[in-house]
Formats: sequence, C-alpha cells, structure tokens
Amino acid sequence: MHGPVATEVGRAAGHSKEISHAAHACSTVEPERGRPMKAMAVHLGKVLFSSVILLVVVITILFLLLELAPGDPIQTLVGDVPISDALREQIYATFGLDKPAWERYLIYMGNVLTGNLGVSFGTEVPVSQLIGERIGNTLALAIPSFILSTIGAVVIGSIAAKTRKRWLDTLLSGSAVALFSLPNFWLGLMLIILFSITLGWLPTQGKAPYGVEGIEVQYMILPLITMATSELAFKARIMRASMIESLGQDFMDTARSKGMADRAALWRHALPNALLPMVTVAGLSLSHVLAGSVLVERVFGWPGMGLLFIGAIERQDTFLVLGIVIVLTVTILIVNLVTDIVYGLVDPRLRSRVTRPVRSEP
Amino acid sequence: MSVQQLSRPASDAAPEAAPPRRPARRPRNPDAIWRVYFRKPLVRIALPILVVIVLASVIGPMLTGDPFATNHPTFVPPNAEYPLGTDNLGRDYLGRVLMGGQVSLLVGFSVAFLCLTVALVVGGLAGFYGGVLDTVLVKISEFFQVIPGIVLALVAAAILGSNLAMIVIILSVTMWPGVARIVRAEAMRISQLGYVESQRAAGFLSLRILWSDVLPNAMPPVLVATTMTVARAILAESGLSFLGIGDANRPSWGALLNQAQPYISTAWWLALFPGLCIFIVVLAINLLGDALNDALNPSIGRVK
Repeated sequence: MHGPVATEVGRAAGHSKEISHAAHACSTVEPERGRPMKAMAVHLGKVLFSSVILLVVVITILFLLLELAPGDPIQTLVGDVPISDALREQIYATFGLDKPAWERYLIYMGNVLTGNLGVSFGTEVPVSQLIGERIGNTLALAIPSFILSTIGAVVIGSIAAKTRKRWLDTLLSGSAVALFSLPNFWLGLMLIILFSITLGWLPTQGKAPYGVEGIEVQYMILPLITMATSELAFKARIMRASMIESLGQDFMDTARSKGMADRAALWRHALPNALLPMVTVAGLSLSHVLAGSVLVERVFGWPGMGLLFIGAIERQDTFLVLGIVIVLTVTILIVNLVTDIVYGLVDPRLRSRVTRPVRSEP
Repeated sequence: MSVQQLSRPASDAAPEAAPPRRPARRPRNPDAIWRVYFRKPLVRIALPILVVIVLASVIGPMLTGDPFATNHPTFVPPNAEYPLGTDNLGRDYLGRVLMGGQVSLLVGFSVAFLCLTVALVVGGLAGFYGGVLDTVLVKISEFFQVIPGIVLALVAAAILGSNLAMIVIILSVTMWPGVARIVRAEAMRISQLGYVESQRAAGFLSLRILWSDVLPNAMPPVLVATTMTVARAILAESGLSFLGIGDANRPSWGALLNQAQPYISTAWWLALFPGLCIFIVVLAINLLGDALNDALNPSIGRVK
C-alpha cells in the first residue's frame, strides 16, 4: 500500500491512449445517423430471427418430452375409475389425441403461430384465458421486486466498492454472499414463521382476504422480500465488481487530476460506466425473477403463473404447460431484445459497431 | 518451520551429509496455491464446517437410529432427547435431516462432477478446434440461458420420473453449459499462446496438446465454476424437491421442507433445520469457491 498515488499517476501517464478512449466513453457523443442505425437494425433482425428459432426449438423439445410422458391423461382426468372404450374414443377425438404425434405437433405449431395456445385439458378453458387471469398476479410481484432489487443492488454495490476492504464493504459483501446462498423459498418460510405466525403482523397466504378481488399491499410484503433478496445479492455482487473496475480506470485519475471532487467523479464517471454491464445483468435477473416465482408463489399460495404451472404439470395438462413455457420464453426473449437495444443505446462505443454483448452467468 | 529445515544443512556444516540431503526433498514453497488457499481465514472456517456436515450426513444416520421408525411421540420440539425434535409421524428429526443431507450432498457433488466431465470434453474440443462443434456449443448454451433451468427441470422431472439418478442427470443437463462456456473460453485463449504453438511446431498431435497443456492450464477458473456448480445444484435440487419433485423414498433437505410446510404454524423446527443445513452448506461451498478464486487469481479483486 505504499505510494498508491505515485503508481496511479504512473499508470495514468503510461496509458494516455486509454484516457482519451475513456473520455470518449464518458462524453455524450452525437448519435450518428445512417450506417450505425442500419447496423443496429441488421443486428436486431438477426437477434429476432435467432429468438424465433429458439422458441421453435423450445416448443419442440417440450412437446417431445410431454409425448414421452408415461401415464394416461384420460385416467388423470376422470380419476381412478374404469372407463369404457367408447368414452375413451370420444375423449380422444374431442382433444384430438387420436391423431399421430407429428400431426398434432404440426397442428399445434400452426395454432401457436396464429396465437392460439389450445385449450386446457379436461376443462376446455382456453390456455390463453387461464394464463391471462394469472399473469397479472405474477407480474405484480415480479416487477416491483425486480425494480427494488436493482436499485438496492446498485446502491449497495457502489457503497461496497467505494468502501472496499473496510468493515462496511466486508459487511455488505458478506451479507451478499449469505443472501446469495439462501434457498429463497426457505427464507419465505422463515419470514412466515417470524412475521405471520409468531408476531402476527402479516398474512401468510394468498393475495387478499378470502372473497376480496385484487391485491392487498400487506399480502405483498413477504413475497416481495423473498423474491427480491436473492436477486439483490446476485446483482450487488456484480455491481461491486463492476464499480471497483470502474473506479480503477484511468479516466478516474483524469477526473481527479482535473480537480473533480471524489463524489462528483463517482456520480459523473464511475457510476455510468459501472452500470453498463448491469444492463445485461438486469435482463438476466428479470428472467431469474420470473422463473423463481414458481417457488415463491408456492410458498405464499400466491395465485400466479407459477402455481398454475405446478398444477398443470401435476395434471399432465400438456397444452397448459406448453402455453406457460411459451409465454415465459417469449417474455424472456423480449427482455433480452430490449436489453440488447438498451445496451446499444447507452454505450456510445457500441453505437458505431453493434456487437452482441456477452452475457454472464451467476 | 520451512525456514528451519532449509537452513539446517548450512548450520550443521557437515560436508559429508550435504550431498545426499540436497536432492531428497524440494524446498517447500510457502506460496504454493493450496498453501495460500488453506491460510485464508474463511477457508479455515468454511472447510471444517463442510467436512463436519458431510461426515455427519454419511456416518450420522448409523448412530441416530432408524430415521423411518415412528415409535417416538409426535411433534416434540427440540430438546435434550431429540435435538431437532420429532415430526408429524413421530420420527426422530435429527436422523431425517442427516439422511436428507446424504441425498442433497450426493446430488450436489455428482451434478458438479458430471458437469465438469462433460464441460471439459465438449468445451475443450469446441474451444480448441472451433468449427461446427463450437457453433453448436454456443447455441446450446444460449438455449439454456434463455430457458430458466428450473422450468425445464420441473417439466423433465415430472415426466421422466424423479428418482435420484434422473434428478442428477436433469440438473446436469441444465447446468453443464455454464461450465462448458468457461472451458471453451479458456481453451480458446490458451490455444493462441506460445507454448501451444511451439508444441504444434514440435509436431505433437493436437489431441495430445489439448490433454497435456490446454486443459490443465484451463483448470483454475473451471475449478471455481465447478465449486459454484455444487452449490447451485444443491439449491436447484432443494427447489425441485420443495415443489414435490424428488425421490419419495429418499427425502432430501428440500423434500423435508416440502413436508414441513403444512405444519409450519405449529412445528417451526421442521421447517427451520433442513433449510438451515442447505444454507450453511451452500454458503460454505460458495465461500470456498470465492477463496479458491482469490487464491488462483490473486490479481483479480485485489485493491490497487
């Protein structure tokens, strides 16, 4: 730790090229028209195309898996009673099960292309209607917890990076690792035991009292905390690393050498640069939140898509399972596309030559 | 200690003893990676905890009696006789939690092992040779990035059956691309380096270069990723079995939590202990992985 200033100045002098590069990254560049926009459009077209391919692959794989499923869906439907062959034929015909698998696959793909996700097995309620009833509830949890955890992660990560290797950073980073290691459905159970059962402050299950329409806020608190914590930890860790890297860049030395206050340099230069990788991470995190809602909704009896999904799997409700996965996949693909666009917009370096950012895994 | 051993031949000043001594043992390197690793305070805490839990899970059920015996009173809170209480059927919960540990840990380690094996083969070949295999690997890992693993695993486990082996396979299928991507990136980087080039010039078979130089040198980040995979697999398995998808005959920690949920308002200990075990084990593994990362790449994450 001897003479950090001297080494930093030395480094800054040695990398004058990078300083200009960094200054370029920080200043607002006029968005060029013409070629870059076209490059962006071509890039988005490619991404869109590969998204569609991916969706088809997902549907195909799941369709095959569900074809392989052992057990008789009819017996699941009518319960454990013997049924006559005639009735069986009739049910088969009703749901189109008498056709060979490939024919049903083609019919289904055709339907999906026209936006028809089929009907739920047994009840004959359209899948899109079932999903439509539930998706609002899932988003009512997922979006606030995504926003809260992102803001929290940026703040906590920045503080930890700024106070690195001191007790506050140790505390924050340590808590992040701990929260990251928590099975978050268990955290939900513990929160129920503590706040609902022992203290009696908050309700345990559902989204509102029985018979009440809509969502009540006190029912949302525990599920929100449960959902947000692991994502908060995941993003805070990345934010901290990104911020440390950003603080160590030469443009920070430049900012200091031109007499900028530490705090101002942090806000003006370090934070925007540190936020760049967070765009990609946020996209990834949103898909974590959506997938994780299966567990959280199970813990809190929250009537969203996750509960619908578990029920559909248990009942072997093929079209409902497929429908939910399709909706989820399309949502995630859209999120990825938006992430790509936002990344291209916020990073001036990428406005000229658009490349697909590398996504990082947790 | 090492200093004493090194300085002894000189201080003895016995010329006839010196020649046989010198080649006998290489001087200890105090900066060897594993030594740096075991010196870290976090490792010294996390490793014993992990070892104790693993040993307790493996040996424990033999000492605590039959975890399936229902001859105890029901719903006894933790006390001296039953350290973790008893469950709704009057089974000793300590035995059941330790049994659950066997399953969870087995799944975690075997998934990580499978992922490592597949990732080294596929990632190594893809990164070193490029070409079609590389394109396919990139596409597969993009696929698994888009589809959340838990969704795929839920459907697959519900359909293909949920015995232990199947769960391990399904989790490995959803998790290996994460490790393989790191192997691929490292193999790509290393295959450009001078020592690989000089081996090519020396006429070695490319597979031999891959085996003897590329893969060993790719190991550091891959090992860290594999360690993290153990933790992620344990978490994923607990999530699946919490949703009721797991081996019914061998309840893991997640399955115990699933069974505990209906009694949560009366028997808090049923929900507390299995989750606490998951938390401690996953935390210990994550800390060990972080420390491994620090030991292997001392420059990363260090304050300048």
